[in-house]
Amino acid sequence: MALSNNNSKRATLGLGAIAVAGLVSTPLLAQDAHQLIRDNCVGCHTESGTTAAPSFSRISEQRKSPEGWLMTINRMTHLRGLELTSEDKRALVKVLADRQGLAPEETEGYRYLLEQNTNIIESGINQGLTETCGRCHSEARFALQRRSEDEWKYLVNFHMGQFPSTEFHSMSRDRPWYQIAFNETAVELGQRFPLHSKEWSNWQAAARNDLMGRWRVTGFVPGKGEFAGWMSAAKTAEGRYDVTLTGRYADGAALAGEGKATLYTGYEWRAGLTIDGVKMRQVMAANEQGTALDGRMFLAAEREIGGDMRAVRDQGKTELVAIQPAYLRAGESTELTLIGQNLAGDIDLGDGVVVEKVLSRNADRITLQARAEGAEGVRMARVGTSKQLSALTVYNTLARVEVLPTDAVTRIGGAGGNMPKVRAAYRAVGYSVGADGKPGTEDDLRLGYMPASWSIKPADEVAAHEKDDRYAGSIDASGIFTPGDAGLNPERKRSANNVGRLKVVASVADGDARVEGEGNMLVSVQDFVRRVLD
Amino acid sequence: MKLNNTFKSAGLTGSLALGGILSAVAPAAMADQEYLLTVTRPNQLHVVDMSTNTIARTCDIPGPFGTGSIALSPDNTHAYVLSNGTKDVYGFDIRNCEITFKAEQSSRTEQVITMQSITVSADGTELYTVQNPITKLRDRYEVKQPRLAVFNIADGMNAKAVRTYPVDRRITKIATTAQNEVILGGGDLKAINPRTGEIRMVSKLASWERGPLWLPPDAFAMHSQGEQANEYIMPYSTAKFTDESMDMETAEWWWGMSRVDLATGQAERMEIFPFEFVIFNFITDPRDSNILYGSFNTLSKHDISQKKTLLVHEMEHSYYDLNISGDGKTLYVGGTSSDISVHDSDTLEKIGSIQLTGDMSTSDLRVATIKD
Repeated sequence: MALSNNNSKRATLGLGAIAVAGLVSTPLLAQDAHQLIRDNCVGCHTESGTTAAPSFSRISEQRKSPEGWLMTINRMTHLRGLELTSEDKRALVKVLADRQGLAPEETEGYRYLLEQNTNIIESGINQGLTETCGRCHSEARFALQRRSEDEWKYLVNFHMGQFPSTEFHSMSRDRPWYQIAFNETAVELGQRFPLHSKEWSNWQAAARNDLMGRWRVTGFVPGKGEFAGWMSAAKTAEGRYDVTLTGRYADGAALAGEGKATLYTGYEWRAGLTIDGVKMRQVMAANEQGTALDGRMFLAAEREIGGDMRAVRDQGKTELVAIQPAYLRAGESTELTLIGQNLAGDIDLGDGVVVEKVLSRNADRITLQARAEGAEGVRMARVGTSKQLSALTVYNTLARVEVLPTDAVTRIGGAGGNMPKVRAAYRAVGYSVGADGKPGTEDDLRLGYMPASWSIKPADEVAAHEKDDRYAGSIDASGIFTPGDAGLNPERKRSANNVGRLKVVASVADGDARVEGEGNMLVSVQDFVRRVLD
Repeated sequence: MKLNNTFKSAGLTGSLALGGILSAVAPAAMADQEYLLTVTRPNQLHVVDMSTNTIARTCDIPGPFGTGSIALSPDNTHAYVLSNGTKDVYGFDIRNCEITFKAEQSSRTEQVITMQSITVSADGTELYTVQNPITKLRDRYEVKQPRLAVFNIADGMNAKAVRTYPVDRRITKIATTAQNEVILGGGDLKAINPRTGEIRMVSKLASWERGPLWLPPDAFAMHSQGEQANEYIMPYSTAKFTDESMDMETAEWWWGMSRVDLATGQAERMEIFPFEFVIFNFITDPRDSNILYGSFNTLSKHDISQKKTLLVHEMEHSYYDLNISGDGKTLYVGGTSSDISVHDSDTLEKIGSIQLTGDMSTSDLRVATIKD
């Protein structure tokens, strides 16, 4: 569910269209980019080709995300003796991601990894790739790379050299792992994720949008709630912006921050902001027109703790961006907040939804009291001439609650050890039964995120016997789960550490009744390798 | 007469005295002294006196920890240990910690690791490792075929391989038979003649031909420590399906093993008892080849003639491996953490503990029997 939700909320990113907003930018001159690689990489990577169109061994045979290139450069500094100024490192990641990045379509379905939203069960590309690569890596890790066949083969050899135990692991020692990986998997990867693609050549030819300007933003911060605000991006250099963010949370508390952003590959927005004293990161993708950014914002120190974020460019026109909350129980007067920009004109909340009273109204925010009558279903709301319609879902009864993440891994930590605890942030999504009258079927009507009260319980009888719910951690009122301390616990059988298997329970009010949903959580041991991308 | 008497008397006294000395020495010579060997982090080889369960001596191993894989010379006076991330081999005289042998297997352009594979020839003159070489080119690695490397132990502190022969990938534990073949524990169990490089199949595992009703085995010997029963065990797990739909849910899960008699080089492969819990390492009771013991979160005892588990003892924490005294009465369970747990082999009850200075993690637990 998490996976499909993640995919479905993204607009399809088309190709070849002319930028309709912002300035068209010019990338770093090709000769400067080549020189940067020459200055730092040719000690090991051989240059061939012409001066105008050089090729650098291995480097030129790969394309990947900005994070992918950052990992490569980190490896070169940590393991291969590369010495690099932080300025050159930033420039190299930018140059490589811009010139050898991924087209927007090539990241579709895998953006959760870039967004660091990794408490997701992947759907599985196929059994072979899952067993050969996916037993250690997320599938998105390799699906977000493009290489020539030879280069995929070199990657197999890299694993053999850097991690010689690879072929001795469970699920490799029972088969000729190296021969399969080199002769079959690398070939398959070269076909499935090739260096040269139509998507990439089209994207390279497409005009680039500049993202400087003013953006209406909405999002969610665990422990703080939903927010709405304004973000402005002032251009400081090609693809670099100073960013400010102001707004307020749903409970009225103010939010303010500033920082810097870089736009990679013409659409990959990466920003670091300090918001009310807390360092946060934004990973978003711009749409084809450069008018909207979609992605996630999370704590810089704790990437598991974050939420969806969306930004819509202010183009001087009336735009309705979001309704908070986006659901309405039929027959009940409910307070709704309409978030948008230049909100002039009549408010239309769709069939049978009556605006009983406007509580406050200004150009970017309308708070009102509404009441819905009629059948369950999605209404499309509009303010004045807004083109963008915003969904408002009317329902009769809350039928089920989905806990997100459905499956999560948290990790014990702290207690004087090297690794901090890895927490998880939960949200509850409500559904009504949909047209078939049955909960848990495909036509269930998704109502949106709902406030919930949170608790944990052991996952099963074994977990109950091991008292996992007592040792493995606790969840707070806002749905943030904090695992137990690292280290042996003499109170537990075999002095086990505070690992455990839990159910996370959300209880949501529906009139006088309450509806519960459950998620699965594994409280695991520390992960001693911290990867840029898992 | 007096002289004679004196002589006789002296002679009598002398022979009595000699008899006394003999009687003092002979029983000790018959009760060979057993030492338990293991490696702990950061990188120490411990020699534990099994008559008192105390550490007799601790030898510092140069370089960072390898995997703690240990091989013994045939007379058990010398132990060869993988160090430096399994790239190097060091030889020790375990009676005094003297380092007598060193082989650095890697070079500037070639990275060589040995995944547990280390053994000594039947005559004690050669050391064998399986090397997994990778050529380090300027901008990439190139994977080379693994090889059996032969070292002359007499070459001492700067030993280089004197012969190499190509072998399969994925070889872990190796052992030498009385015929001086080297058993290669890989996907299949094979044996190589270290003088000619000739390889024969000992026991098919990955390539067994048992039809669709048997899952190809997951065979893996991280620790094979059969010195007390003079054998090599390659354990495996497999499943027997009820039909060709290969339904894992309804399958019978089995532990199995290929077991090589190191006196003859002959092997038997069989399912040994149902897979009910994870076992990291097996050993055979030196008194009865049908009795096996296994360790991990449990210490367990099995009768493979009945294909059944006789006893299971819950351990205080995970222990990767185990070994047994020569009389078969005492089990030593170790690996993982910093204590060796001592158990009665009849009841599996804990009867003692040996605290070490660091974690054994993946290290072997081997028994060296020194004959006076």
